[in-house]
Amino acid sequence: MGELLRVENLRTYFFTEAGVVKAVDDVSFVVNEGEPLGLVGESGSGKTVTVLSAMGIVTKPGRIVSGKIFFRGQELDHASENEMRKIRGKKIGYVSQDPNSSLDPLYTIGNQLQEVIRTHFEVSKDEGWDRGIKLLKLVGIPEAETRMKSFPHELSGGMRQRVAIARALAGEPELLVADEPTTNLDVTIQAQVLELLKTLEKDLQMSLILITHDMGLIAEMTDRVVVLYAGKVAEEASTHELFQTPRHPYSAALLNSVPRLDRKAALVPIGGGIPNLITPPNGCRFHPRCAFTKQVCMDQIPPLEDIGGRRAVSCHRWKEIELRRNV
Amino acid sequence: MSDANSAAKPKQKQRGASQAAVAWRRFRRNKSALAGAVIVGFFIFISIYGIFFAPYPSRSYYCLTNGCANLPPFVNWAHPLGTEYSGIDVFSEILHGALGDLYVGVVATAISVAVGLVIGAFAGYRSGAVSAMLLGITQIFFTLPVLVIILLFARIAQILVAQGLGLTLIVVILGIFGWPTIAFVTRGEILRIKELEFVQAARSLGASNSRILFRHILLNVMSPIIVLASLLVAGNILTEVVISFLGFGSPNTSTWGLLLQEGFLYVRTSWWVSLFPGIAVVVAVLGFNLLGDGLSDALNPRIRE
Amino acid sequence: MGSLLNYVIRRALFAIPVFLAVSILTFLITNAAGDPVNIVRLGIRSITAAQLEQLRLFFHTNEPVYIRYFYWLSDFLRGNLGQSLYTGSVASRIIPWIGTTLELQIPALLLALGIGIPIGVYSAKHQYSKGDYTITTAAIFGISMPTFWIGIMLIIVFSYYLPWLPAYGAYSAYPPYWWGSPFLDAIAHLILPLSVLTLVSVATITRLTRVNMLEVLRQDYILAGRASGLSEWKVTYKHALKNAITPVLTIVGLSFGTLLAGAPALETTFSWPGLGFAFVRAASTLDLPTVQAIIMIITLMVLAANILTDLAYAFLDPRVRIT
Repeated sequence: MGELLRVENLRTYFFTEAGVVKAVDDVSFVVNEGEPLGLVGESGSGKTVTVLSAMGIVTKPGRIVSGKIFFRGQELDHASENEMRKIRGKKIGYVSQDPNSSLDPLYTIGNQLQEVIRTHFEVSKDEGWDRGIKLLKLVGIPEAETRMKSFPHELSGGMRQRVAIARALAGEPELLVADEPTTNLDVTIQAQVLELLKTLEKDLQMSLILITHDMGLIAEMTDRVVVLYAGKVAEEASTHELFQTPRHPYSAALLNSVPRLDRKAALVPIGGGIPNLITPPNGCRFHPRCAFTKQVCMDQIPPLEDIGGRRAVSCHRWKEIELRRNV
Repeated sequence: MSDANSAAKPKQKQRGASQAAVAWRRFRRNKSALAGAVIVGFFIFISIYGIFFAPYPSRSYYCLTNGCANLPPFVNWAHPLGTEYSGIDVFSEILHGALGDLYVGVVATAISVAVGLVIGAFAGYRSGAVSAMLLGITQIFFTLPVLVIILLFARIAQILVAQGLGLTLIVVILGIFGWPTIAFVTRGEILRIKELEFVQAARSLGASNSRILFRHILLNVMSPIIVLASLLVAGNILTEVVISFLGFGSPNTSTWGLLLQEGFLYVRTSWWVSLFPGIAVVVAVLGFNLLGDGLSDALNPRIRE
Repeated sequence: MGSLLNYVIRRALFAIPVFLAVSILTFLITNAAGDPVNIVRLGIRSITAAQLEQLRLFFHTNEPVYIRYFYWLSDFLRGNLGQSLYTGSVASRIIPWIGTTLELQIPALLLALGIGIPIGVYSAKHQYSKGDYTITTAAIFGISMPTFWIGIMLIIVFSYYLPWLPAYGAYSAYPPYWWGSPFLDAIAHLILPLSVLTLVSVATITRLTRVNMLEVLRQDYILAGRASGLSEWKVTYKHALKNAITPVLTIVGLSFGTLLAGAPALETTFSWPGLGFAFVRAASTLDLPTVQAIIMIITLMVLAANILTDLAYAFLDPRVRIT
């Protein structure tokens, strides 16, 4: 099981009028081949910015302040547009959140697929077009030949998401990032899109990063999880272990805010909101919302501590406190 | 996001207040908006108190009989910006003209806003034939070559009302033709807002239609309208200047457009009569435009972020 | 294609109520004093009985107002624009005016689009940079200046102080010609008014382009385009610009009326013998048949511009065809 993507001590800040927003503040993680990874957290926790940083497409006023990015062990110069462009689409494919706006409304599906294909492979227009048709077939779009000539608005939301996935696959990437791929879809369509992602993962031997706030999706789709809170890693673990024994109070809180069919338990929403990232709370960023806060949590930033068994947690009190799934 | 909204729902007032505070902070940080506010403040001050500083009365031909006609600027400090052939002191006349332009700009805008709000609110809140008709009329207004119609209107009115009304005539005409944008935006905002949770909630609690309309919706509609109104004042001042410049305004009231018209008669020899009132116009209009842009940035954070 | 044709027909049908609204409005204003003849008698003291009689005939003042309106409208639609109070048939004089106005307006519009769009794109791509700040500041100055006043300032500098360019008219009626030939003479006359009009339109178009471009650059498909490895050039010019420019062209096309509306003051400043200058003279001298004809012609031009814009929009944006 080889290492595919490694992000080390990544810091991405947004230099706005109001101040410096530390959207990603010292985040590290590794994606291995064949081990789908989930990035989970509330909106604003820095999930998307982390991945966009790894692909080198943070836009102004945002900037990668420090950190290292490796692809298959090779360090990438994230300041070099040329070097990062070789990664985008070709090594890492990205499916953005909203299928309603992720395709350019003014060009046909075929034109947009062909464009990406011809960016990555030196093929003729006809060849590009034919490959586009194959991609549409791959993602399960019926009548692919005619669909190539359709405009995005002529397709349903689910179809558009499939096209968006097809475009992300056009450069034959080794790693696919799906950013909230189902949030804007109907429930039945959601299941189909997830099924498609699973099939692609298996058939194309492709690795997956799933960005979501939905613990249900994490359980269904991933083997490992990185829990992000306010731009920092709260906890990293295998999906199974995280669900069994969450070590960070925030992970536990996320799990407890998800409805479960197997237990009759009250849903506990997480009180409070994501902190202001211009002046984040001192010490542990989660302390204002945490039930276990002590003085130390307010004073010192907890390190991301390796607790063995490929697990890491960033909490001063993870040993003392007993986190329970509500029964 | 949705949690935050629903949590704030019971305390709608507080959220409104904090929104205003946020907008105010954004506005204060926006240098050009502040510059706009300062210019507008200065303009209003000059309009009201300018007559006390002005050395000569409005439309006074003092220099014609006192041998100081057609003076260039910066020569005689009794007439810092020079004088016209007809003996009018340019500096005094600019001070006097400010009130005329402020009056036209602000009052015409007030009329447009009042008319536009009522029509837009009606078209947005009720549906059906009447609202469709209002929308149609609004769209027709957008297509009209408004300025030529205003000019014809002003010219005919000039003859019929025999100049007794002075600037009020122009105010009314501009007011009548300025409402469509306001109505259009009001309608759009109301369509959007009335689908929002808190209005639906107020409705299901049995609040009457008119109470919903006024308490909840108008408060929210006001922010784009304030922006539009500021830009409309700028536009109205420019239109007044054009009307007076072409000689279709009121020849007995001091306005910058009138001064520009007189300046143009002697443009070959007396450039200063054209230059200085023009600068006054640019500064005043710029003030309202900057203010409008700044308010728009402050009240609508989306574009900035 | 059938649906596109349908769309155009529907948009063209909208022109009819607008046309009627303008005609009624114009007619009502000129009949505000009971009938147009009264206005002329009140406004022009030196008017002769013969002129008044001619006006009475044209406006059918012996009929009730609404009948007069239909007479006038049907005259207009049949191309009978009446006789000017002073200088003969309106129809024969109005055609050169249209030409002269368009000779100024169309190059100004094209130049302004050609200059304003790239500047707006640059400004949006470099938001918050010094360049962006300079451009937005210059643009807001541009929209805050009365067009004709810039004209006056340019005349003072480039025609009086430095006698480089003519200040009046569209051409010299007789030699000596500017720069030696009648053709160059026409160009010399065009430069100042064209510069003024372009300058002001550039300001508007730059602002429009910038705002639309900022809006589009925030869209998901721009992010997705970058993420799929497209070059920044392709993302900006193939995707972002095309999406941003469609509304810009639409607004510019639909506000053609506003552009033409600036014409009276500007054309008067330069004594440019177009519709706007003619309108100001006719309105000052209460030459009502000419005034009414000009307003109606401008309306028709605006409507034609709107229909062309709609066509262009339908061509540029595939989503319009089904709505």
